[in-house]
This record gives sequence, C-alpha cells and structure tokens, in this order.
Amino acid sequence: MITQSSRSIAFWVVWLLAGAILVGVGLQPARAQTPPATSGARDLSGFWELSPDSRRVPTANLIPGITSAVRAERARKDAYAIRWCNLLGMPFIMDSGRPLDIRQGRTAVIIVPEHASGPRYLYLNRSTHVGEDVFDPTTYGDSIARWEGETLVADTIGFHPDRGITAIPGGGYRTATSRLVERYRLLENGNLLSVVFTWTDPKMFRAPHTYEFRYYRLPADYEPRTWLPCDPYNDERTRFLEGTPAGRTAPGK
Amino acid sequence: MALLVGAAATQPAGAQAPASPDLRIEGHWVRTDPAGAGSFGGLASQIPPAQLTPEAAATRGGGPGRGGGPGPAAGPQPTRPNAAGVPYIVVERPCANAARGNGALLLNPDSGGIHIIEHKDQVILAGERGGVRHIYLDGRPHPPLAGRVPTFAGHSVGRYEGNVLVVDTIGLIPGGVVGGGARTPETRLSERFEVSADGKTMTITYTWQDPKIYQKPHTYSYFFDRLPANSYAYEDWCDAGDPIERQSIVPPEQRR
Repeated sequence: MITQSSRSIAFWVVWLLAGAILVGVGLQPARAQTPPATSGARDLSGFWELSPDSRRVPTANLIPGITSAVRAERARKDAYAIRWCNLLGMPFIMDSGRPLDIRQGRTAVIIVPEHASGPRYLYLNRSTHVGEDVFDPTTYGDSIARWEGETLVADTIGFHPDRGITAIPGGGYRTATSRLVERYRLLENGNLLSVVFTWTDPKMFRAPHTYEFRYYRLPADYEPRTWLPCDPYNDERTRFLEGTPAGRTAPGK
Repeated sequence: MALLVGAAATQPAGAQAPASPDLRIEGHWVRTDPAGAGSFGGLASQIPPAQLTPEAAATRGGGPGRGGGPGPAAGPQPTRPNAAGVPYIVVERPCANAARGNGALLLNPDSGGIHIIEHKDQVILAGERGGVRHIYLDGRPHPPLAGRVPTFAGHSVGRYEGNVLVVDTIGLIPGGVVGGGARTPETRLSERFEVSADGKTMTITYTWQDPKIYQKPHTYSYFFDRLPANSYAYEDWCDAGDPIERQSIVPPEQRR
C-alpha cells in the first residue's frame, strides 16, 4: 500500500534524480547523437573528450622512498615545464582539458591533443620496442600496440625521467623505468572510449597503479581548435606562475 | 646551415621490406634535395617566381622566404673563427619561433620529418618540428570565412583521385609564399600528394590561386623520400629555460 508520505518521498526522489541528470548533462560536452561513423569495434577513430564523470582514479601505492621532499622536487620540475612551455608529454596529454583527435591508420594510431605538445603515436606495425641503444627517452616514450579481440593494448617504455609533466594521476611520477600499459575499448555502441592505464615502476609503485578514463565521442563534424599559444617570455604570465610581485623581475629572466 | 638530408629525421628499428610497392601516402617522409641545391636558399632559387598582379607586386614586401614569410635576415658572416666558448649566434628567445607547433611548417616542410596517418574520414599530417594538419575527407565543406579566425594550417578538405590525395585549403593567416608569392585567408591552396610507382618517393605539388594576388596559378613541387616502415617520430625537444639553447654554434676549446 502506498501512503501519502511515501508518494511524497517518491515525488521528491524522482525530482532530485531528474535534476541531477539535467545538471550532469549541462556539465558534459556535446555528444554524438547518431551512430559513430566507424568501421567497427576495431577502429578507435574519432573526436573524444573527457567529462567531469570520466575519471576513476584510485590513490597510488608508492614505495617508501617517495617522500614529501621527493614529491616537492618533482612538483617543482613539473612547474618548470609549464613555466617554460616545454613539451608536456604523457600522461598529461590524455587529460589536457581539450578533446583528443584519435585516428587509426594502417601503421599507427595517432592521438592529437589540442595542445602544443604535439601528437602521440601508438605503432601498430612493429611488435618490439626500439632498442635502448637507439631510442632517446622522450616525454611520450615508445608505444607499440596490438589488438586483443576488441581491445587495443598499447605498451610504452622509454620515458624521459625529467622532461614535461611527469605527475601520474592518483600519485607518483613517471621515471626512466616506468612502463605503461593502456587498454583501449569502445563501449556503448562506440560512443564511449574506455582507456585503462596501468603503470608499473619498481622505483615508484609498490604495486601496479591502475586507473580508467572514459572519453565521450564528439560529433563527427567537430573541428579541433588551434591550441592556445604559450609564451615563455611573457612577463605577466611569468609573474603569475611564479608568484613574483609586480615590478620585480622573475627568476630566470 | 640547415641542409636537407635524407633519412635524417627518423630512426629505423629493424626493417622489413614490403613485398610490393607501398603506394599509400601513410608513413614517414623526409624532404629531399634531388637537384643538389645544397641549402634552403639554393632550393628556393629553383622555385619558379610567382607572377603577381600589379597590385600585389606593389604591396608585397620581403623576399622568397622559406617559412612563408620574409627570408631570414642576412647577419654578419664571421671572417675568422671566434674564440673558444664565444658563440657565433646568440638566440635571444629560443624555442619561441612563431611557426613552431602551429602548422606553418607543414605547408612548407623543411628537413624535419613528416608523418602521415590516413583514415577514411581524415588524413593527419604531423611534423617533427611541430604542427599538425587535419585534412577532412568526410565530405564537409569549407566553413564561411566571415568571422573565422585564420590559422597557419588553414582549413583543409581532401579527396582521392586514384592514389593521389588532392587537398584544398583556405583560411590561412596572411603571409608570404615561396617563390615571392603571398597569401590571404581567401587564397586557395591546392596540394597533390602523389607517391611514385616504386613507393619510395612522394611529390607534393602546390598550386596557389588568388585573382587578387596571382596573374596565373603559382605552382611548384617538393620531393620526399619514404623512410623505413618501422621508423618513428623524433621528439623535437627545446627548453626555453636552458641557457645552452641560446647558443647555436660555439667553438670548442682547441687542442694545442
């Protein structure tokens, strides 16, 4: 039997749920309303964007050596990279605040951020990493990928230990001994892209650190925006970033 | 001096030769100097001069710059070696090149490698020295130029004619064009990307058209070598905060 009070409670529950849904829609990017123009579950191509509900990131389990002093020094280096408009690299570009243009070619998947850090490549045409004797570590590392069923598995090593933003979501930093495995999979009829990131690094993590981002597909006619300029010689910008009082020269000038 | 050299921009990683010629444009390419000009100035001299309208000729400044603008200023050339540790060139603002990362170099590639990914809806050109071009193949038209902010890469749509990718671009930032040409957002650039029958080389033929600027279409070609299939893109690192970046060439201490 439904009482007056239970009907009142049900009314408010429905009302609050509807409000939450509307708020959620308002926070999220415009999403494709039509089926994606992909050639199947093995084509990740499209424009993809993170939303406020896109990240599930647990706290990383760091080794004891990652002290507050180590973290402070790392944070200082990351701030330097931003201050001097360096290439920012992985994992930053997978969550740069703007959509990604992902295109899957015959030989590679290219991930293009709307950011001056440039594109990232997941090579499909080789099964081994470039040798350490040849490859100079980079902010993106060397990524090779293969399909396992309907999941694209990308394996990356060869990270530069200092360049760019090295902070990893959930805690920790990439180092020269970091390995990143990413599992890309389309969900919800291709309108959602799940990427599960797993970092392993004996110099950083006690156990593999895994988190997931879910990207929403943008309409196919979306057009990437030219990225915002970054001027390391802009005094006002430097004062803002470094907290230097107006009228004083910022360090490093 | 920046020379155009083959296979300088990417590294092979244990190659496997394809069984048959690869006629697709996807892959890694580096611009070459088949005529042996030896320098960017030499290459630029081989570009046929643009036939400008009188109005454009009257307003066109600068020379046949290689980066889409006036050519680099000819600074004083050293007549004898500098002392050890004294740089020949001091870069006041390293890594601040306006062309870096914005696509301008991909309209006029230099010796940095370019990487092309083909997808049915879009072709992406990416340069090791920065810049990305999105070439839409999904049938979308160019947007109206009114109210659109011009960019260094412009707006590009493409289609295939056999194995040839034909690209049409408008909406470019005003500036120079090699061969003494010029461009505005209304100027139309047509590019034809054509791979040779053996799959080893690619020719990009550029044609600039604008009745306000050119008496006739301004056409020239650039040539590229395909790099090994398992090459990879270099990361063009430049740290504006590193004092060493300010010095281009510094003579080392000499042995006595």
